[in-house]
Amino acid sequence: MYYPEPISKLIDSFTKLPGIGPKTAVRLAFFVLNMKEDDVLDFAKALVSAKRELTHCNVCGHITDQDPCVICQDQSRDDSVICVVQDPKDVIAMEKMREFNGRYHVLHGAISPMDGIGPDDINVPALLNRLKDEQVEELILATNPNVEGEATAMYISRLVKPSGIKITRIAHGLPMGGDLEYADEVTLSKALEGRREL
Amino acid sequence: MYIKNIKLQHYRNYHELALTFDDRINVIIGENAQGKTNLMEAIYVLGFSKSYRTSKDKELIQWEQSYAKIEGTVLKKHYQVPLEMQFSAKGKKAKLNHLEQRRLSDYIGALNLVMFAPEDLNLVKGSPQMRRRFIDMEIGQIKPVYIYHLGQYQKILKQRNHLLKELQRKKQHDLTLLSVLTEQLIEHASIIIEKRFSFLELLRQWAAPIHQGISQHKESLTINYDTTIDVLESYNKEKIKHIYETTFSQNQRKEIERGTTLFGPHRDDLLFYVNNRNVQTFGSQGQQRTTALSLKLAEIELIKAEVGEYPVLLLDDVLSELDQHRQSHLLNTIQGKVQTFISTTSVSDIKHETIEQAELFYVENGTITQQRRG
Ligand SMILES: Nc1ncnc2c1ncn2[C@@H]1O[C@H](COP(=O)(O)OP(=O)(O)OP(=O)(O)O)[C@@H](O)[C@H]1O
Ligand SMILES: [Mg+2]
Ligand SMILES: [Zn+2]
Repeated sequence: MYYPEPISKLIDSFTKLPGIGPKTAVRLAFFVLNMKEDDVLDFAKALVSAKRELTHCNVCGHITDQDPCVICQDQSRDDSVICVVQDPKDVIAMEKMREFNGRYHVLHGAISPMDGIGPDDINVPALLNRLKDEQVEELILATNPNVEGEATAMYISRLVKPSGIKITRIAHGLPMGGDLEYADEVTLSKALEGRREL
Repeated sequence: MYIKNIKLQHYRNYHELALTFDDRINVIIGENAQGKTNLMEAIYVLGFSKSYRTSKDKELIQWEQSYAKIEGTVLKKHYQVPLEMQFSAKGKKAKLNHLEQRRLSDYIGALNLVMFAPEDLNLVKGSPQMRRRFIDMEIGQIKPVYIYHLGQYQKILKQRNHLLKELQRKKQHDLTLLSVLTEQLIEHASIIIEKRFSFLELLRQWAAPIHQGISQHKESLTINYDTTIDVLESYNKEKIKHIYETTFSQNQRKEIERGTTLFGPHRDDLLFYVNNRNVQTFGSQGQQRTTALSLKLAEIELIKAEVGEYPVLLLDDVLSELDQHRQSHLLNTIQGKVQTFISTTSVSDIKHETIEQAELFYVENGTITQQRRG
């Protein structure tokens, strides 16, 4: 099928998004053509500023427009517990629950030699530094319950264990082999209650 | 159990197909390349959620079509289960009782199948991989959670092999990471081995007398498990785990040098002996075939004993490969109790009374006409 270049470029851009196949990309591209110009401009600006204005918090690695992020700045939160997650989306899922009042650490991935991702390629060194300085008593490992997430949790636990910090792993209620993102809030809060010590 | 009916959409060379089956013998007749194996394969896929002929699900979709669908109703002793498999560019979906199953281990096992194709006659002589697949599929359909452990094991193994490669090339030096992956691997390896041991115990019990029967009491069959570690079949999971731990820690350097995982169920094999001689190396072709046949017949009885119902038997092109004696032994054994699908290019190849009451299906280029005999 032949499309004028601006459209085929737009289609191509849409196919780069997750979960969007060629057919959906075509539908979205033609939808954009029929949108009001202002809306299209707002959309384009939102895309660019999300990319440009957001950075990773230097303390916890969460996405933020101010550094350190609001969670790290919040004085009312409990410094003695850090919850380690794989993805910024996991922080948002946990925050929606409003049951956890400690700090976070976002790894941005999990250990996977197959994909060339070792411990140093995710935010592990920064975590170890944090543990040296801060008054942390418990580390909750909330990495995904799949092979890579488990390996990451076990790895961190091996490194941290000698320091005497209590380490727990979110254990129950999560779908086996599933991702934290997909867990609904109820199962997530059960998971938090039922964490087991590693 | 038996398959009451099946519906195919865009599956291989079947555009649309709906068939009702006999609860005993169904014979699929047709020239070469008309769709006999495709139908057998569809039944297999309905049970195991994947084909034995290809690992690419995409190949199952009819050319020029975007999806393939297999639906079937399985009748069990006290109830019936609708099953459905769907394949498309997005992946596959498995539905049991009309509900999508997220884990295949929740799906597999609803329809128990034993498949016997000419390739299976090479089970004894063929590669260790074939024998591991044989044992894994059988355990998997009796104890579906085994499939979960096998899947996890394979993922961890892949990760661990990559890490070993990196350690070998000195691109990575993290031995803590290696020991984490080793611990993960051992967890599943020891469960897999334990389950294989208890399955083998059952397989021996059923296969030995069957083999004696086919060989008219001239041969006795024994089966051994050949493994890379020093274990006894009587060991429990904890003990097996412990042996793996010592083996891996003693051989760490060797594994890094070789850049791959040297121990574990993915390296194990089955050994068959007839009258105390290894059939693989010393057996005649006839003895190897008898052994393969004994194993398949043992599977049928084993599933009956473990699951409570006979599985469905698929005989693709294999009857004509068996001599008269083995053919009638096979058909006598299943007669009147196991729903069986037999494919052949000509009915007259099969000389057995069961064929007289069979339901006949004539296949021509993706369409089927049904004809009842007797
Ligand atoms: N995805 C597909 N779409 C359409 N046709 C296909 C597809 N895959 C295979 N076929 C066709 O199906 C036919 C093969 O059917 P099948 O393997 O069932 O033959 P058969 O009847 O078992 O023959 P034989 O007696 O030689 O074993 C071939 O003609 C092949 O081209
Ligand atoms: Mg065939
Ligand atoms: Zn922060």
